[in-house]
Amino acid sequence: MLINQDMKMADVIHLNHHLLHVINRFGIQLGYGEKTVKQLCAEHDVPLSFFLEIVNTFHDPGYFPVENLLQFKASRLIAYLHETHRYYLDFRIPEIANYIQRLRDDDGFGPEVKLLIQSFFSQYTHELTQHINREEQRVYPYVLSLEKYLESGGGDKELIGSLKQYSIHEYEEEHDDVESKLFDLKNIIIKYIPSPRDSRVLNLILHELFELENDLNNHAHIEDLILVPIVEKMEQEFLSGSNNPKIL
Amino acid sequence: MIEVVKILFVEPSYIVREGLKTVLSRMGIAFRAEEAEEVRDNFQRLLEKHKPQIVFANPDLLAKSWHGNRSAAIFEGVVLIGLMSKESGEADSAHFDFLINTRHPRQEITQALMNILSKNGFISGETDSENISDRETDVLRLVALGFTNNEISDRLFISVHTVMTHRKNITRKLGIKTVSGLTVYAILNKIIEAGEVKGSSL
Ligand SMILES: [Fe+2]
Ligand SMILES: [Fe+2]
Repeated sequence: MLINQDMKMADVIHLNHHLLHVINRFGIQLGYGEKTVKQLCAEHDVPLSFFLEIVNTFHDPGYFPVENLLQFKASRLIAYLHETHRYYLDFRIPEIANYIQRLRDDDGFGPEVKLLIQSFFSQYTHELTQHINREEQRVYPYVLSLEKYLESGGGDKELIGSLKQYSIHEYEEEHDDVESKLFDLKNIIIKYIPSPRDSRVLNLILHELFELENDLNNHAHIEDLILVPIVEKMEQEFLSGSNNPKIL
Repeated sequence: MIEVVKILFVEPSYIVREGLKTVLSRMGIAFRAEEAEEVRDNFQRLLEKHKPQIVFANPDLLAKSWHGNRSAAIFEGVVLIGLMSKESGEADSAHFDFLINTRHPRQEITQALMNILSKNGFISGETDSENISDRETDVLRLVALGFTNNEISDRLFISVHTVMTHRKNITRKLGIKTVSGLTVYAILNKIIEAGEVKGSSL
């Protein structure tokens, strides 16, 4: 059953508590009272249809309505993607790092295993941070100024000028996957480490890795299948309009 | 190993689509579904957009969009499964790699899907628990140490193509995709020692 606008937000959480952090990204925090999804969205200035589509892609793994999502503005998507980046770097990754830190004081493991997990994860953190920085510093500003230009004719001239060298196609090509390493780390912990005396901290780490991987998959889907086509369309609009003396 | 299969459903009936998804889930297949209720002339575009590995399609819906191009590059590596609702006689069945009759009983449908999926490597049956061979261990050792495919081919006197085949099998058997993941595996299994690793990746 998909989440709809007339459900009480509290019931949404009872139905699927994994949605909590997604809902937080829209600036909607706990203490929902009896309010419905629609009421809370209005209160927080969140566009209802965007909220519902995003939340439902998390809620139902078979639900990814490309056509509906293509209708949203690039800046709307980017605001959301930006919030999820913040969530990974400011919350989820430090959270996992904390657990890994806890492993250090756990004498159920050999020091070598601890060191391997720790360095593998810190390498991963580095790669994820780089991936996100590239998007935040290069890709998103480009998209935003393209959108601004098309809407008002204003915009960063330099960025628009660079369109001829850089297009979203390049991003599509170089957009590397940050999920494979997590997948490996999960398998290493599940299958290949020597059995520890006590698995509880590792269980917590695994739980976090599954959640992060799931979130990243959804995030990458939005980038590849929604953001890229929207920007491609804007680029075409820009290129066909640039012959137009009014815009020049 | 768990590999998420990309599946495209081109079928007007919501119930048939949901039913197929349930059947596949019950079979333990991890998949991401894309769905289309209709195709006008855009079947190829759908394929380009979603890059599915498997397509379940209603033959009637595709009837108009063939233009005799089943051999087009976009179809390469795509398993095309026709969803029949009658015993036989639907047009264009020759375009499909396999046909499934949606009215057949549970056991038959599951068996047919099982055959198709294992024939095309989406389910690897018993072979998953298979341990890696000695030759694969040689390759794994060099990969873990940071050697490139070319270097491995030189050292083991095998072609680059063979190196790649070994690497694919290693990844499939272990469920580890990245070089750094393989390195950790190799250290944990005493195939190499941590100090031996080239560069400073670990
Ligand atoms: Fe991103
Ligand atoms: Fe990304």
